[in-house]
Amino acid sequence: MLTAFLISVGVLCAINTLLALLMVLAEATIGNYGSVRVTLNGRRELTVDGGKPLLAALKEHNVFIPSACGGRGSCGLCKLTVENGGAPLSTELPWLSPEEQAAGVRLSCQLKVKRPLRITVPEEWLSVRQFAARVAALRDLTYDIKEVRLQLIDPPTIDFKAGQFIQFEVPPYALSDEPVYRAYSIASDPRQRGEIELEIRYVPNGICTTYVHRHLKEGDPVAFNGPYGNFYLRESDRDILFVAGGSGMAPIKAMLHQMAHEQNPRRTLYIFGARARRDLFLLEEMREFERRLPRFRFVPTLSAPAPNDGWTGATGLVTDVVEREVSEVSALEAYLCGSPLMIDACVNLLKKKGLPEERIFYDKFA
Amino acid sequence: MNPQLGWLTVLFAAVFTNNILLTNYLGMCSFLAVSREVKTSLGLGAAVVFVMTATSVLNWIVYYRLLVPLHMEAFRFIVFIIVIAAFVQVVELVIERVSETLYAALGIFLPLITVNCAILGVSLFMVIRQYTLAQAFGYGLGSGLGWLAAILAMAGIRQKMAARSRVPRGLEGAGITLIVAGIMALAFMGFNGMVNLN
Amino acid sequence: MKQTPQLEAIQRAMQPGAITAEGFLGADPRPLGDILIADEAAVRRLGLSHARIAGRMRELAAAGSRGLGLPTAVPPHFEVAVESVRGKLPCPFGHAGVYPKTNVVVRNLASGRQIVFTDLNIHLIAAHGFYEGLGSPFRCDPATLAEILEIAPEPPEAPAAAAGAL
Repeated sequence: MLTAFLISVGVLCAINTLLALLMVLAEATIGNYGSVRVTLNGRRELTVDGGKPLLAALKEHNVFIPSACGGRGSCGLCKLTVENGGAPLSTELPWLSPEEQAAGVRLSCQLKVKRPLRITVPEEWLSVRQFAARVAALRDLTYDIKEVRLQLIDPPTIDFKAGQFIQFEVPPYALSDEPVYRAYSIASDPRQRGEIELEIRYVPNGICTTYVHRHLKEGDPVAFNGPYGNFYLRESDRDILFVAGGSGMAPIKAMLHQMAHEQNPRRTLYIFGARARRDLFLLEEMREFERRLPRFRFVPTLSAPAPNDGWTGATGLVTDVVEREVSEVSALEAYLCGSPLMIDACVNLLKKKGLPEERIFYDKFA
Repeated sequence: MNPQLGWLTVLFAAVFTNNILLTNYLGMCSFLAVSREVKTSLGLGAAVVFVMTATSVLNWIVYYRLLVPLHMEAFRFIVFIIVIAAFVQVVELVIERVSETLYAALGIFLPLITVNCAILGVSLFMVIRQYTLAQAFGYGLGSGLGWLAAILAMAGIRQKMAARSRVPRGLEGAGITLIVAGIMALAFMGFNGMVNLN
Repeated sequence: MKQTPQLEAIQRAMQPGAITAEGFLGADPRPLGDILIADEAAVRRLGLSHARIAGRMRELAAAGSRGLGLPTAVPPHFEVAVESVRGKLPCPFGHAGVYPKTNVVVRNLASGRQIVFTDLNIHLIAAHGFYEGLGSPFRCDPATLAEILEIAPEPPEAPAAAAGAL
């Protein structure tokens, strides 16, 4: 009786062990894709661990592809052209136009690297780096906008063009297990390469802004990557029109720093739109820029000044002021930064005034 | 169990007269959850056919060549399930390697096949009815095909229902599906008597 | 009732911290499937449809967006302020498409009541019949929406007799 029992249990354990070993073997052979070679833009070669999504594999080799959803396939930002990647998965199809599908564009977060790939990555993404930084200072600019100053630790310096943005990494909340990224323009002087300044406005129910306004403290570590974006001052002699509101001031401020340093002689008008006096900030800095740049004019406008604001400056929406102040557009470039609605309204207004679309620049990050 | 019945006969019976889903009412949960769309039903059904056939044969070998000689028949429940789980795991790895699209399409359903009671049921019936190896193969394959036929029919019916029928709110979803499954089972009872597997 | 794996995954995407800070379900203990069924019933009881409600919301949002953030008068007696911030949000139901982050504040001047919803809410209602969980900051209760936005029921359909037959 006992022998029968022992034999049975023994055999059962043996079967279990055998099958477990089989699993390990299968994982090591079938599930193992070894090292796979990925060739970027025909010249750079990376050796990555096979089986991983391309997005993650590239990230490990310090090639940062934009992503707002942490690789879940729900933002569509991580598109890359892959020569021999195979057909797109059903999760990717809604994001790819027929032309893109024909050209071999895939979502790099959905494509698992299993065989050698030849991919094309836009050049500006190749200069994007991941940064580890520390909060050097937090300052309230208004009741809902915080200025966050980050001191870079590794790498210790950043090279960016005034107007570009970074992707700020929000650590995972209690219930989610992936970080979330949100884009913010750099507000500081590009010459100050060891520190960057961000202007972050509190958005109710926003993951990142809630984190920054409620949880972030001086000395906290922060990770971000960048720089990204095609929003920067173009070299020319034309007059400049800046239109921004709220935290849209950030890239404009960076550009003004650059212009002040270069003593850029271009005639510049900055229309800053806000609701009431309590939404205005950094007025002193703007006056300083007016002093350093003789042809720079700063025009704040309030659309709904409070009765006790005692406001004597311009009133109305930014579009009203643009309408009033802009007449000659033949030698003009416009740089817009702010809420999507404001940008749309300004673009339409400027196009109606005759400003060609190629001379209107705005940051369109998702 | 009549050893004279060829494996093809057993297969035929497993699809019609002893349909694992409509006659024995096994394998209902993924049936209810997936039968909304014909395409996914086809994918899942094909996977079930493959797993059912293979595990039926594998479990026959394990039972008659290992458990019976060692008088360990009582352990068949545990051992069958372990074999099924290991097999499905290997299948998952192979599918992931060979076809990314199929792997993505099946998604969560692959591991769910492991706990599909129809798979275990097929192995257990094979033991109860004392099939030979050939009959076990036919029974596994036939049950898989029968399950596939049932889920495809149900998906077709549900897609048509979604477009035209006004299902009372209380019966939406699982309710009406079970009623339809019952009606299908009644229809399949008409095949009774063609072949007797018991 | 047990949910399909898909609904489970969507319910996970609705948790705080996945897409928005407070999530889409608030303090509602019910599974997502139950929430959808209950709100669908409420909408039918009001004699409305998801499409009609979403259409009215979209209409008011479009009219109010002219003000670029300032309250805009919308006839007959509404005041709508539409604020938008940069960035887009994906839909928790997992399909492709991102939606702008706009807050639409509608004040019904006749009744004095106010309601806030977002562009994503309009999509969730129109495409998925989802009004968010009880206690969520952007919960759009169908009855409240119908009352404040003054959404009238559709004219009765002709073949209403088919409902209970067979």
